[in-house]
Amino acid sequence: MVVNPREAATLEPQTSAPPLLETAGAPIRQTSLWRDAYRRYLRNKGAVAAAVLFGIIVLYCFLIPGFWFIPGIWTTLFDIDPNQVNFLETYLPPSLEHPFGTDQFGRDLFTRVAKGGQVSIGIGFAATIAILVIGVTYGSISGFIGGKLDNAMMRFLDALYGLPYLPFAILALAVIGTVSFWTMVVALTIASWFTAARIVRGQVITLKENDYVRAAHAVGARWHRVLTRHILPNTLGVLVIAVFLELPAVVLGEAFLSFIGLGINPPDASWGSLASEGRQSYQTHPLELWIPCIFIATLVLCANFIADGLRDALDPRTRET
Amino acid sequence: MALLEVDNLRTYFYTREGAVQAVDGVSFAVEEGRTLGIVGESGCGKSVTALSIMGLIPRPPAKIVEGSVLFDGRDLTKLAERELEDIRGKEIAMIFQDPMTSLNPTFKIGTQITETLRRHFDITKGAARQRAIELLEEVGIPNAPGRLDDYPHQFSGGMRQRVMIAIALSCKPRLLIADEPTTALDVTIQAQILDLLQRLREERRMALIIITHDMGVIAEASDEVAVMYAGQIVEQAPVLELFDQPEHPYTEALMGALPQLEGTGIREGRLTAIPGRPPDLVDPPEGCRFAARCPYVGLDSCATQPQALREVRQGHLVRSSHPTTERGRSREPVTM
Repeated sequence: MVVNPREAATLEPQTSAPPLLETAGAPIRQTSLWRDAYRRYLRNKGAVAAAVLFGIIVLYCFLIPGFWFIPGIWTTLFDIDPNQVNFLETYLPPSLEHPFGTDQFGRDLFTRVAKGGQVSIGIGFAATIAILVIGVTYGSISGFIGGKLDNAMMRFLDALYGLPYLPFAILALAVIGTVSFWTMVVALTIASWFTAARIVRGQVITLKENDYVRAAHAVGARWHRVLTRHILPNTLGVLVIAVFLELPAVVLGEAFLSFIGLGINPPDASWGSLASEGRQSYQTHPLELWIPCIFIATLVLCANFIADGLRDALDPRTRET
Repeated sequence: MALLEVDNLRTYFYTREGAVQAVDGVSFAVEEGRTLGIVGESGCGKSVTALSIMGLIPRPPAKIVEGSVLFDGRDLTKLAERELEDIRGKEIAMIFQDPMTSLNPTFKIGTQITETLRRHFDITKGAARQRAIELLEEVGIPNAPGRLDDYPHQFSGGMRQRVMIAIALSCKPRLLIADEPTTALDVTIQAQILDLLQRLREERRMALIIITHDMGVIAEASDEVAVMYAGQIVEQAPVLELFDQPEHPYTEALMGALPQLEGTGIREGRLTAIPGRPPDLVDPPEGCRFAARCPYVGLDSCATQPQALREVRQGHLVRSSHPTTERGRSREPVTM
């Protein structure tokens, strides 16, 4: 019902904020989506612990042996080359200089595991980012255009889904031929971009029906503008979660390929290839197998916990009760 | 010639059950500086009419199967999507029902206003920002320069609707379509928003189409009223004429369903409701679409004969074979 315009007029001044209120206490702290999410994330103890542990592992991997131009702490302190073979020091037990001992060729495992971690984590993130780029492109085109094209693109995806993940990655590696860091990234990306594409498509379809998308159309925004400015930024929360859901899968995939000898080859190390080497002397020196395995397991577990925490923080409605 | 002339517009939705005739032969015209109110119950085709004018109906499943929308002499139904995009926002703007969801939550409102400006005009960021401040002041947002960098969630519903209006007005459109602009707001805020729209319309000599299901809003805001029922206009008249002498049984029943605040018989008995439901628009009845719910259905063969919109008085159109004045003064009380 409509109120008498005169009454409305008397109400008007109330909407222009009275100056009294501004001085009546501390100004309200502005809050944003990200600050809110940060606060909610901090409340989740498991996720915080996982993030800290994740950070420690990453720091260990990159600082101990050094990478690119940054000198490593351990390598300069004890003058160790992680790939240096020394047959006088094979299978040393843990000591201060070699906290994880040495392997069958006398290489220091502390720096070697860290070096392998660089490769594993590096492949993990690189492949995850590649997966997201492809997934976002494919998914947003499919979801945004919709109709017959959407149908065709999704059926193609269904067909790819039918192929088992690791054999598909092995096949991709075989087709590429040589094995290096980047070929591993490509193989793992090819084998696992489908889920990301699906997630993005679902999001885009939901967001497409939103009022503000209609409103954007109503002020004459062109389709690419609607997609890049109004739809994709709103999928960001889901994408951040997807990174930490995709990461453990990729790290595991890389470890598996390296373990069965299709991935990173010695003398270069990755956690998978280290575990593979450790397996050979498992009976006598179990530590060499256990250490990379524990690192893989911890990293995967941490990533899952982080993903969980992020989901609760960024999308509180989906939290399980 | 009027600014906007809609002629025999038919918009159908093609679904599995068949073609839903959401808008079925709607014609009206809006002059510059005038307000047309379109009123009707949910699902009568009000919004689809508006979206058809803007070319924003979802295609598929919807399609404009017939008719024309002449805006300033150009037929909008025949324009390419790119040409339509240039008109949308610049010449014809639209505000939506729910201000809570019509603003993108990820951008500052300043960005959302300047983006629209920069989409249609070749101006610098600074100039667009200045213009945005002026617009916010114009729609009555206090401390406009400071609020430019706020996000939509920091605004109340009424303030957000003001922002929506500012965005809609940013490119000085000649026609503004307001699709239930006050439905999601408190009554006091409703009155403010309606006053604002009226003021802006007068200042800018815009044409305005207000779509609503609230007779109060219609009485307050419009010059001319079109009453829609089941995809058709059943009655069209100047606002005072319509409220003084409703002709169509449906309009009459709508008036009967309004609570009275003054006059005799207030607060006595229950409000009269219209029994039944609107017809299925996949297969609408041959004759008068209101027949199944009309108390006067027995008077003639209107239930089987298609009804045309005809002029009973100067400027008063009605789609009924027995409008109030032709039923004689023996107007039976609307008991249903």
